[in-house]
Formats: sequence, C-alpha cells, structure tokens
Amino acid sequence: MTASRIVHLALACAAAVALTACHQNTPPPKAETPAPAAAADPYDISKMDLKPVPAKVTSERHTGPFAEGSALSTAPELKPLDPAPVKTIRLDTTHKIIEIAPGVKFSAWTFGDQVPGPTIHARVGDRIKFSMTNRSDEVMPGVNFTAAPMMHSMDFHAAMVSPQDKYRSVAPGQTIEFEFTLNYPGVFMFHCGTPMILEHIASGMYGALIVEPKDGYPTKVDREYVVIQSEFYVKPDPQHRKIDGQPLYVLDGDNLKKAMSSYTTFNGVHNGMVKKPLVAKPGERVRLYLLNVGPSKTSSFHVVGTIFDRVWMDGNPDNQFRGMQTVLLGSSSGAIVEFMVPEAGQYIMVDHHFANASQGALGLIDATGGATPAEKNDIEHHNMPATSTPDDPAAVAGKLDFESKCLACHSIGRGKKLGPDLLGVTRARSDDWLRKWLKSPEKMLESDADAKALLKEFNNIPMPNQNLSDKEIDQYLKYFHWVDSQPEGSIHSAEGSH
Amino acid sequence: MRAVLRALTCSAALYAGAAGACGHCVEDKVASVYDYAVASRAFSQKQQVAFFGIDGALVVNDDSRRALEGVARGVAGVDPDSLRVSLDTASLSIAFDPRRTGFAALQKALEKRLASRHLTLLPMKVMDAPATLKAAPQ
Repeated sequence: MTASRIVHLALACAAAVALTACHQNTPPPKAETPAPAAAADPYDISKMDLKPVPAKVTSERHTGPFAEGSALSTAPELKPLDPAPVKTIRLDTTHKIIEIAPGVKFSAWTFGDQVPGPTIHARVGDRIKFSMTNRSDEVMPGVNFTAAPMMHSMDFHAAMVSPQDKYRSVAPGQTIEFEFTLNYPGVFMFHCGTPMILEHIASGMYGALIVEPKDGYPTKVDREYVVIQSEFYVKPDPQHRKIDGQPLYVLDGDNLKKAMSSYTTFNGVHNGMVKKPLVAKPGERVRLYLLNVGPSKTSSFHVVGTIFDRVWMDGNPDNQFRGMQTVLLGSSSGAIVEFMVPEAGQYIMVDHHFANASQGALGLIDATGGATPAEKNDIEHHNMPATSTPDDPAAVAGKLDFESKCLACHSIGRGKKLGPDLLGVTRARSDDWLRKWLKSPEKMLESDADAKALLKEFNNIPMPNQNLSDKEIDQYLKYFHWVDSQPEGSIHSAEGSH
Repeated sequence: MRAVLRALTCSAALYAGAAGACGHCVEDKVASVYDYAVASRAFSQKQQVAFFGIDGALVVNDDSRRALEGVARGVAGVDPDSLRVSLDTASLSIAFDPRRTGFAALQKALEKRLASRHLTLLPMKVMDAPATLKAAPQ
C-alpha cells in the first residue's frame, strides 16, 4: 500500500468517525424550524444580463474628438461615477507620436489618442454602448512619421461576449459598434486584440475599465487615482528620422519578443507622476486603481511609507486582503489598494521589481501640503530631469540612467553632494580615465593618485562599483560630453538626494 | 508535427469562419496580411484586394515563405509585388484587377501553383474600396 493510499484511508476513517460522532451528538432538526435561506449569490449567472446584440461594422467614420463619453477620465484623477445606467463610449484608434521619456519620442498606436487610453468608469449593471472608428489612416498635423495605417480591434476584459463577433478587427476607415452589460466589479484591462497582439499592446493600445460594485465600495475615500503600469520596447528609428530635433523611436520587435523592455512606466511616462505627483493630505484615505498591462512583465506595486489597509484583487471587494506591503500583478491583472497617508511627506509609488523601477516605474503621492520647495526636493530622491535633452539616443540613455541611479550622490551644476558635481567632468578627466573609473572604481583606488585624492576629498566614501556594461559607460560618457558642450549655466540636474 | 497541428487548427478555424461562426479568426487573419499601402495603390488603379486563408499542412519555414511569395508570378491580372503572406496565421493577400480576372479564377490559378505542396486556399474577404471588407465569393 502506498503512503498516499494509507493517508487517504486514514482520512476516510477519521471522516467516518467524525460523522458518526456528529450524528450521535446532534439533535435531530425540528420539523417546524424553517431552513435558513441560502445567501443570494451576487454572481448568479442566471440573473446576469447576457443578452447578445450583434456587433455592427460600417464604413461611416467618426470625425472630431477621438474620445467621447461622460464615463471617461483622461487623467490619473478618476472622475466621479456618472449615474446613467447606459454609458455611451467612443474610443477611436490613432497613430501618433508620444513622448515616453525626455527625448524619447515614440511612434505609438492609441485608443482615444492617448497612451494609456482614457479610463472608463462604470458600475455593475451598467450597459456600455461602445463605438470605435479605426482612424489610423488620419494624418496628424505636422507629423509624417507615424506607423502605416493598419487594422485594429477592441477587447474588453470586463465584457462577457463572443469575441468572434465583438472583438473583430476593422480596417482603417471602418467603425465597429457593440454593447454589453457589466456583470462583475473590477479593474479590467481593455486592449487591441489584432495580430500580432503583443505589438499592438506594446505600441500603446490599452487602458482600464473600472467597474464599481452595484452598491458601491464598502469604504469611503478622499482621493481616487488610476495608475497603469506598462512596458515599452523601443529603438532609435533605423532611418534616423527626427521630430523637433529629437530622434524618433520605433518598436523594437526583437527585444519585445524577448521581454527585454527599454522603459517601464506608470501611466505611459518614464517616472510618471514624479514631475506631476498625485496629491493627498495627511490623514486622508487614498484609493488607487491599479492595472498592470504588461505586456510581458509582472509588477510588485508598493508605496513607500504606507501599508495597504485593503487590497481588492482584480478590483473586486470580494477578493480582499488586509495589511499588505506589495501587490503582485501579472500582465493584465488589476487591483484596488487603499491606504491612509500617515503624515506630511512624499510617498513613493514604485514597482518593487527594482529593475522595472530603474526603467521608470516610479511616481509620487505628494502630501507635503504647505512644505517649502526645499523640503519637497529633499524627498524627491529620484530623477527630476533637466529641461534640455540631448538628441543622440545613446546620450539620452545615459541621461536617463544618470537621473535614475546617480542623483543620490552626484549633481550636475548644483555642487558637491556625497560625490563630486559632474559638470565639467569630461574637461577635468580623460575619457580613458572615466571609463576605467566607471568600470572598476575599486581597482582605480588601489593605484591611481587622482582616485585616491577623490576618496580623501569625499570623506573616504568610495564610489560603489555599479557593474556597468561597456555600452552603459559609453552612454554615460556621451551624456557627460553633451552636458559639457552646452552653454555655461544652461544645464543642471535636479536636487536629488537619498 | 507542431506545424501540422497549427495548420490543422487554422484550417478548423477557417472552416468555422466560412460557416459564419468565426468571423474573429477570419478578420484577424485578414489583419495579419493587410497592407495599407498595397490596398491604397490597388484602389487607385481600380483593383481589388483578395484575402485567403491557406489550408493544409503548411510548414512554417523559409522554404514555405519563399514558395508562397513566388506563387503569384505569372498569374494573369495580379500584381505579384502586392502579395503579402503570414505563415503565423496561414493567410495571404493579393491585389487583382477584376477587369482581367475574377476572384474564383484567381483562387484557382494560385491553388494550381500550390498543389505540389498540398495546399489550398480558403476565400476570406475582398476589399474593393477603402474601409470595406466584404465577404469573399464562395
């Protein structure tokens, strides 16, 4: 007899004994006592609205705005719920240039002419009447560098419909209309489902549909924001085209398939919401609607300095956790997190997969209220970009790396910190010296007199080895050379510090 | 084996589409070989664009790609350069001049060239103007 069979047998015996004991000790039910009514299942399929209405495809195209509907929010702030039970939503597809990071102008594909697309806010029982014209063939004023028009579609994860009917791809100039009823609460993704789906999502075709429970959430909050995480996979345009003097970036199909992203962003922007933090006040309760789009990475969402009082996985209060530090979200997973702002400060939203954070998955919740700018800046320990940006893609990469990794110890043009001010560093040191220093500072400190002098000058705090690749070092040098080629006083970094 | 399975899956999906139950699959296949530039050029020359699924044991490799990309050479009434092929979705599209050949004749001519590979074509859609995707003649 195998061990598992023995275990099964033992369990069966134990169950039999327990049942017997139960039978012996429990008085028979009184006939006159009515059986307790079974709790109503809020997800009773028989009560859901699944009435199908066939989708309609026409050649009549929308004109005017690319997004329309009272249930749409185009900013992180979630607009209050429109009480109307029928929500008419229009999200047209466009091809446009977006700026993912300073100097990184990317040829994107969009819903509603923005990345991510506008957030839809509705509640269980609402009817969504959706329409979409594929306007990828419309020429954007002054821009000739968008991708060629192509077919697109819309896939709502919040809908229970036949994908063959509703999620059809439509050609440029065509309009598709379909409708559905929202049966489950949640933070749901929508995205283009046209092959190759990976490319369509990675190019920007996604957004969130927030479905509130029929009777609202069980808690009251002071602030509500939408935070959507996604990756971008970009490379400089092989044709070296430029927009406003900046290089055009296009989709990097090879790295896309290997899930080697260039940027990971909140709401489509590198270090999204660092420049424009979400606002809150001490003592307020904040609700964040989170969606990790992917397309290929997970997110460990964390807010430094807080604990999530409540976490509703996929945005459904029936899926509740309490007292969580991070929320792990796979691609196309959502959640609602709520937390109290304990005191004045800036609370850092971060993907605790720090490789993702270093690619830009950072943001701030500003609860400083009346704090002085100096106090604010002291907390902004990451990457406030300088106003000017180089146009060499390698120098842009060096700049972004510098702002992500070096600002805690160095400045450009703002004086000494833990380490030297790097303004003029390419005039003070040769490229060869800088290469060796960045590659292996500990080796330099063994033998190089200048390195030893630096160590002494900076209180014997050594420069840590950052394990930089030769390519990364090249990018840093290109950035430093660009800085030193700019007019005196025109370039300086943010006041970062840890 | 995997290629065969993929081809069989695609074939099944296409047959379902032909029966009116799998428009999604058909339109996705169309999307994978839709080329806006080809379509625009075709319409300006009063041509149409035909979209076909490829039925049979399509092996996904460079040899198949080359063979399929050359299949339109010498076919009357078509522009061979307009041919677009997707091995992943087992589909192809091509512009043709309806004044010189009909949809059925085009299909027959292309299938003749695919016969040695035991592949046939399944009509999906035809475009004769911008923003129109019509059911292909069966």
